[in-house]
Amino acid sequence: MKNSNTCVYEAVALKKDYDDGQVQALRGVDFRIEQGEFVAIIGSSGCGKTTLLQMLGALDKPSTGSLHYRGSSLPDLADPSVYRAREIGFIFQSFHLLPTFTALENIQIPMLESDLPASERRGRALTLLKSVGLEHRARHFPSKLSGGERQRVAIARSLANGPSVLLADEPTGNLDSENARIILDLLVQLHEEQKMTLVLVTHDMIIARKAARNLQMLDGRIVFDGIPGTAAPSP
Amino acid sequence: MTFFSIVVRGLTRRPVRTGLTLVGISIGIAAVVALVGISRGFEKSWETGLKARGTDIVVSKMGSSLAPKPFSDAVAELIVKLPHVAAISSQFVELLSIESSQMMMLSGRQWDGYAWKNLKLISGRMPLDDKEQAVVLGQTAAEVLKKKIGDPLQIEAAELTVVGIVDGGAVVENGSAILALPLLQEIMSEQGRINVIDVRVTPGTSEDELKQLCVEIVRAAPDVTAMAAGEHLSNSQSFRMVKAMSWGTSLLAVLVGVLGVMNTMLMTVFERKQEISVLLALGWKPSRIVRMVLWESALLGFLGGIAGVLIGVAGIKLLQNTEAIRGLLEPDLGIGLLLTSIVIAVVVGVMSGLYPAWRSSRITPALALQG
Repeated sequence: MKNSNTCVYEAVALKKDYDDGQVQALRGVDFRIEQGEFVAIIGSSGCGKTTLLQMLGALDKPSTGSLHYRGSSLPDLADPSVYRAREIGFIFQSFHLLPTFTALENIQIPMLESDLPASERRGRALTLLKSVGLEHRARHFPSKLSGGERQRVAIARSLANGPSVLLADEPTGNLDSENARIILDLLVQLHEEQKMTLVLVTHDMIIARKAARNLQMLDGRIVFDGIPGTAAPSP
Repeated sequence: MTFFSIVVRGLTRRPVRTGLTLVGISIGIAAVVALVGISRGFEKSWETGLKARGTDIVVSKMGSSLAPKPFSDAVAELIVKLPHVAAISSQFVELLSIESSQMMMLSGRQWDGYAWKNLKLISGRMPLDDKEQAVVLGQTAAEVLKKKIGDPLQIEAAELTVVGIVDGGAVVENGSAILALPLLQEIMSEQGRINVIDVRVTPGTSEDELKQLCVEIVRAAPDVTAMAAGEHLSNSQSFRMVKAMSWGTSLLAVLVGVLGVMNTMLMTVFERKQEISVLLALGWKPSRIVRMVLWESALLGFLGGIAGVLIGVAGIKLLQNTEAIRGLLEPDLGIGLLLTSIVIAVVVGVMSGLYPAWRSSRITPALALQG
């Protein structure tokens, strides 16, 4: 990836249409996200925040406009899987752990795209599991873990290949308030300790206020971009 | 954890479905092993029988039935005069139901023909002459018919006495009831008729001379065919039909296995659509997903192949000991056939996985964020 100072993402007039333009999920979005920022994308259901996260994760291509990651155009990447494997870590609302693999094995799954030998993969997965406080659950399958524990394993998995950006889609959406607090604290800790860029999609204002910056979306547009509390977003 | 453990876990996720698919493919492979093994074994034991008798050329009139058609025994007199012919042995062979055996090879042999010479007496004696109402049994035939020396043996309307039990050096010979040619001609009401002439050539006859002799035999007796012993069975119309049928039936069974594997792999891909999209979102290349699906289907094929070979071999052993056909089967279950069967199963697995793999390559990673 080309380096462009501290700018991680830069979107200009980003649009995404579905069904031959009948559905406009993004209607011209402009923003920049700097290295080490904690940005919460907020908005009601269907406002386009998940579509935007898909674009940032190179899971889909925009219809028009440009989106750059550290100076490289994301839609034009020859192999987006390399970007997804090395540059970013994904955290999903539904955890998406593979049910037939233990916690330790789930963390190793993204590492199969790296050149690490099996023993190193295992060692690194164990370290990551320790970092989320679940080393005692290494051999447990997802079905034996609580929702909060599953999400902590998923966070450890997102860090498997040492990404510089974490993209989280409603990471506390399926959790009770206590587990939601634990997960949020963990994400904030990761962001602060490892200087990671954290882009988080949520409709929970308590979580959004923890971010340094909010991008509020409405009908496929960004209607607020600033420090939480400086305006009165109502997602 | 390795990529291969992901492949294995993919199959163990739905053990019942994987098990049923394995049963499907293994039955197909078992059919290949059993049917092809039997037809190849039949060919091999026939050749061994000819070799045991020291036959170089087989003269017969093969029709569409398994036993050759009868022709005049005067043909033998024409052949014996030809160059390079050292000896001949006329025969009348027939597959008949004899007492408790539903199908047994009956071989009426020219009394002074060399085909008697390879029979080694295990007990009893040989018939005294071609008039004696006597029969010798190959050792398997004696076991199947539960006969010992002195026992009567009913063949069609005639009652003969078992005078000897012999080792013929080949499964076909040991599974036969052997008697003098005139006796069998009388029983079958085929006096003056034979259906096989075994020809032994003089030592030092070259392959070209042997081929030329075959041509001359046919020229002398246009009604019959003459072939080198090794080629006789493989050129038989009926045997070729049996062989084609065994392959055809096997391939049909394999096709059922193909559909089973394809169905399983398609179901797997559809069920794991979101999981695949998550793997893509985590950085897996689409090619790795395709490889995962292909490896899973290849592994299914491999395991089905192993199970199929075991089932096929066990089935054949069971069949061999069945009273009805005991002594008639000598399946050729060489390592070549078993390995070929496993290779077929793996190829079937990979082929069956191609479409599901292509479908998996169409899954978009964006699905990971939906639900």
